[in-house]
Amino acid sequence: MTDPTINSRDDLIRYLDAALALEHATIPVYLTAYYSIHSTTNSDAAHIIRVTAVEEMLHLTLVANVMNAVGGSPDLTRPGFVPSYPAYLPDGEDDFTVDLRPFSPEAVETFCKIERPRKAPDPQARLMAVRPEESLLVGSPTASGIRFYSIGEFYEEIMEGLQRLAAEDPKLFSGDESRQVGPEQFYSGGGMIIEVHDLASACRALQLISEQGEGLDTGVYDAEGELAHYYRFRQLQFGRYYQKGDKADAPSGPELDIDWDEVWKVKVSPKLADYPPGSELAAAAAAFNTDYGAFLTLLTRAFNGEPDRLQDAVWWMFRLRDSVNRLIRNPLPGSDGLHAGPTFEVTGTGGALS
Amino acid sequence: MFVKFPQGATERTDKDAAAEVLYDVVIVGAGIAGSIIAAQLSEAGKRVLILEAGPAEDLTLRGYESYLDRFYSSTSKDNQAPYPASLAAPMPRGTDTRRIAPGAPDTSAYLVQSGPLASDTTYTRVLGGTTMHWEGKTPRMLPDDFRMRTLYGEGVDWPLSYEDLAPYYAEAERVIGVSADVEDQSFLGITFDERYVYPMKGLPLSYLDRMVAKDVDGMPVELDGEQTRLRVRPFPQGRNGIPNPAYDGGNGFVPQGAVSTYQVEVGERCQGNNNCVPICPVQAKYHAGKTLTVALESGRVDLIAQAVAYRVHVDPETGRVQEIEYRRYKRPDSKAFTTVRARGRLYVLATNAVENPRLMLASGLRGSSGLMGRNFMDHAYLLTWGLLPEVAGTFRGTNCTGGISDLRGGRFRRNQAAFAVDIHNDGWGWSRGAPMTDLLDLVDNGGRYGESLRQGLVDRVSHQLLLAFMVEVPASPSNRITVDPSYTDRLGNMRPILTYAIPDYTMRGVAYARQLSKRIFARLGAEDHTDYDPNFWGYATYEGQGYEIRGGNHLAGTHMMGSDPSTSVVDADQRSWDHQNLFLVGGGSFPTVGTSNITLTIAALCRRSARAMLTQLDREQAPVQLATAGAPSHREEAGR
Repeated sequence: MTDPTINSRDDLIRYLDAALALEHATIPVYLTAYYSIHSTTNSDAAHIIRVTAVEEMLHLTLVANVMNAVGGSPDLTRPGFVPSYPAYLPDGEDDFTVDLRPFSPEAVETFCKIERPRKAPDPQARLMAVRPEESLLVGSPTASGIRFYSIGEFYEEIMEGLQRLAAEDPKLFSGDESRQVGPEQFYSGGGMIIEVHDLASACRALQLISEQGEGLDTGVYDAEGELAHYYRFRQLQFGRYYQKGDKADAPSGPELDIDWDEVWKVKVSPKLADYPPGSELAAAAAAFNTDYGAFLTLLTRAFNGEPDRLQDAVWWMFRLRDSVNRLIRNPLPGSDGLHAGPTFEVTGTGGALS
Repeated sequence: MFVKFPQGATERTDKDAAAEVLYDVVIVGAGIAGSIIAAQLSEAGKRVLILEAGPAEDLTLRGYESYLDRFYSSTSKDNQAPYPASLAAPMPRGTDTRRIAPGAPDTSAYLVQSGPLASDTTYTRVLGGTTMHWEGKTPRMLPDDFRMRTLYGEGVDWPLSYEDLAPYYAEAERVIGVSADVEDQSFLGITFDERYVYPMKGLPLSYLDRMVAKDVDGMPVELDGEQTRLRVRPFPQGRNGIPNPAYDGGNGFVPQGAVSTYQVEVGERCQGNNNCVPICPVQAKYHAGKTLTVALESGRVDLIAQAVAYRVHVDPETGRVQEIEYRRYKRPDSKAFTTVRARGRLYVLATNAVENPRLMLASGLRGSSGLMGRNFMDHAYLLTWGLLPEVAGTFRGTNCTGGISDLRGGRFRRNQAAFAVDIHNDGWGWSRGAPMTDLLDLVDNGGRYGESLRQGLVDRVSHQLLLAFMVEVPASPSNRITVDPSYTDRLGNMRPILTYAIPDYTMRGVAYARQLSKRIFARLGAEDHTDYDPNFWGYATYEGQGYEIRGGNHLAGTHMMGSDPSTSVVDADQRSWDHQNLFLVGGGSFPTVGTSNITLTIAALCRRSARAMLTQLDREQAPVQLATAGAPSHREEAGR
């Protein structure tokens, strides 16, 4: 076994901070694909992507609860919190990056890679060396040059660290309980928010993330009867839904239809620099980034003692949707018919907690 | 949690095989009444056949979204806009309504209207029925509403009291999934069990409600010597909100999300979209498809859709129903149909207060009391509209979140009708077609486009205030549904004929409502823009003043319940006095319609009746003699 990388509360909080960034990092990817689908078409795909994105929001909130429980302060406004796309994922392979893509077979392939449950072949393999040029979603925040074999292994590391620290420090869970986000404020439809007050609830919260998402494979359905993300996306590849009792390689539920052409062909991982300076598109793209930054500020306040602010997040998300649509429905000049898209170039919004 | 619809359930029952089965219960209509009864009876192990006139399409997410697409792309946003019109099972549509010239009934649409007042009242003939387009308000009736004759000398007493119905109200609130807070809903005698909480917490008042409340809360009103103070109060809603952890003794409540044949996560909470009527985009609003799905999942409920009940056959000796003859059409646009029969130990007509008596009368069953189809009731809606002095956030939130309920009851009811007042979050939508009419005006007459058009639209609609007064209509035998063989639909079914006038008792309430609205507008500093058009199809005059009266789709009264067979059609269990194995359920059983939207009370009555049906089934264990001699189970017929 390699040496543990979480040896103090500070280490733990740095890990949870990285987890927060990781959970958030997939959301722009899913939202771009989701909103690229022509409205009223591709219902099956749209619902699958949407629910996954919503569950990533649940995961983000669960991580914030764990962080608050151990006395941390979630900050979604720090520079670098939103990755620069394309970005690598630490899934043991280094031959693909995560892009902002329109809905396409390539996008679904990427979703499956993100969400693929992977357990390291042996405990030694959990931690891997980082190649110098890589931009990482999940590197170890405490041991430089180290990344994880998979997201599942990353969470295993956190849970083991939590258990170790909780055993050493009876005051580990001393966070202010009023900072917890509960079911009154957060609702996703795919799994309940868990308020974190102790080791058991912290582990339940992280376990839920792991099971729903990028975990170590607990089967097609999780303990609550929810399909894990990986299998949700696999349905798009099989063209058929799973139902209870199905094996991973043979879904037997209703068929699902996909029309890859009913999609706005958004430029892959667009940048503000791609938009003609001074154009309405450039202004709309910049406005989206400003709005998105403000939205992250709102979430940061909600995760720092004002959980009721999550109610405002509902209409904020409608506003962001409209903002994305303004971009996605317009062609990008000089891009061979490709359309504009949100760039998610959000630099630290700063001053959020003042 | 999503509601899993068993794939293929609308196709799996073979009509010919079903014709040879003696079901425990045959139900006509897959709306909320039929679905609740089917779910409750199947849960008790009974075999049920449901006949539904609407299209035989599984309740899939994509099917629901096709309703949405139809709504979005339709220029008219009326109640029926999302739902496919079928010539075989036509639906009344508000846009069909025409002013009726004296002596000349309007026969142009499915619902024949002989007036004198035209009504735009509708119902929806698809799986889930009218709850597909309902708004979702779920107020309980007042205790006084059940004793109107005794207390005020008006209308008719129910054979049930509020206390009798209260436990079933609680059951209905669970089935529908009601969001409300007991402290907001305890008024004018409405009481709850000591520890009762609604399944979900109350939905918040809209910004507009709160703007109105600032000036209206505490406004004194004196009526018939009684003083009351008005207050903007939230309505209970059949829309998903925050589950109340204290519900069911602390077990909580799990909201029912969308109906789908596969796992989806949508609809478990209202998002504040503003088109509850005619369709919630995410199925956060309850519709009876959710309860129908539970029934079908039991495996004991067969469903045959595209099946329009044609005739109720009765044994002339015993009065018992022998079979229901129905016409099954192949496609909504085809004239061809097959005649089939359905047989059960019990029969339940669960269509609505127009189609129930229509079917009975078309079967020649006028009832020994002669009251079948009589005492048709609806709510008479009076709309008043104005512009508020400041931006009030109109068009935010759902269609309607709050209103004034203080004049639903009081001594004045001995003289004039009571009413509830809705504050409409969709501005002048109902009265004048906002925001579409504002948009057209800005473009056509204002030459606006782009940013200026967008801002102009916001500036206009965000000041709009519409108050809808839902005025009670008492039973009146001359308001009625009849049939006439000269008016039939494509399948040869006799069409309903509505004869309707607003009683003076109601008009006194209407006139008072108009006066009150002026006082409210003055208090709010609102410009009153209310203007009633003498050419409007529902224009009615009273004491020299004219009013536009609209229908509420709260159909009631046409097979009234009572304790005396000579003055009612059904008993307190909704069992026909004349036909002991027949139940006529729904709004038609109401002796008074009060000032409550009718669906919750329908649901409560049906929960209660289902128990009576189970008791009766247990009692009538003896085999029922089947009238099978000679008659083929079905025959092919060409359309006319």
